[in-house]
Amino acid sequence: MLAGSQLRVDIRFAKRVLIAYNHPMNEKELVIHARGGDRDAFNELISNYIDKIYRLGFKVSGNEEDAQDILQETFLKAIDKIESFRSEASFGTWLYSIAMNVMRGCFAQRKKMALKPIEDYAPDHSDTGSSGLFKWNDPHEMFENSQIQGIIDDFIAEMPEENSTPFILRYIEEMPVKEIAGVMGLSVSAVKSRILRARLALREHISSKMEEKMP
Amino acid sequence: MKDCTEYIQNLCSYVDGEADDSICKEIEKHLKDCPECRVMVDTLKKTVVLCKEGEKKHLPAELRAKLKSALEKKWKERFGNEADEETPPDGEK
Repeated sequence: MLAGSQLRVDIRFAKRVLIAYNHPMNEKELVIHARGGDRDAFNELISNYIDKIYRLGFKVSGNEEDAQDILQETFLKAIDKIESFRSEASFGTWLYSIAMNVMRGCFAQRKKMALKPIEDYAPDHSDTGSSGLFKWNDPHEMFENSQIQGIIDDFIAEMPEENSTPFILRYIEEMPVKEIAGVMGLSVSAVKSRILRARLALREHISSKMEEKMP
Repeated sequence: MKDCTEYIQNLCSYVDGEADDSICKEIEKHLKDCPECRVMVDTLKKTVVLCKEGEKKHLPAELRAKLKSALEKKWKERFGNEADEETPPDGEK
């Protein structure tokens, strides 16, 4: 068995050979190198996720300071745990699951608004025969794009993180539902339900803002 | 006719084109008779379109530099300085 320092030397040698023959390392090779202490390999592994995790942290928290803390804490924990990563999931899924834990810790003490049960967002015909759902015209005719994004961002930041996170991963980062389920440690149906609740709540909020703006 | 609450659980999958054929047919049948749910479907679609229109934020350069320095420090604590030294394995200079 190779001692740690010898392993690192051998990994460096292997890396030099790969570079010499212009062979880009795949994720599995990068992980092996990173676990052996190759910082460049680790940097390459995380490079695709810096902006994504920063955006997720920013959207969920609503501020840059928290987003930066979430990002940094995620990568620091990844360095600590890199030797426990076994490639059963993709590196990205593993990294996001660390970010989820960091965010849970970060938002555990914060009070966020409670969303209604899904059924309560359905049109209600019981009183007047019509719930009078507000029919949107083009929102861009009523608001500047920056205003619309402000309305959306402020509301998402107020949502419980358990709803905003899967919504952002699904529609901003375009992650498949199955992968979100893996990242969050939930069933696919639970993820779908959380996304729907977030989407219905956001729809209702945008609708109310548009109604307020009507003359 | 079923109540709208019975369709709402599947609306996201329907709107995203991920619902089973049988569910799609059921929802579409309901939509013909329910203007409120037609508004719901239309505005749920628009909600996601609006979200996607937002500018994708990137980590600012100064924060990127700060992150790099924090990770370098952690890496050295974790693996020691020798992890980054470019000493050839055979000891050649």
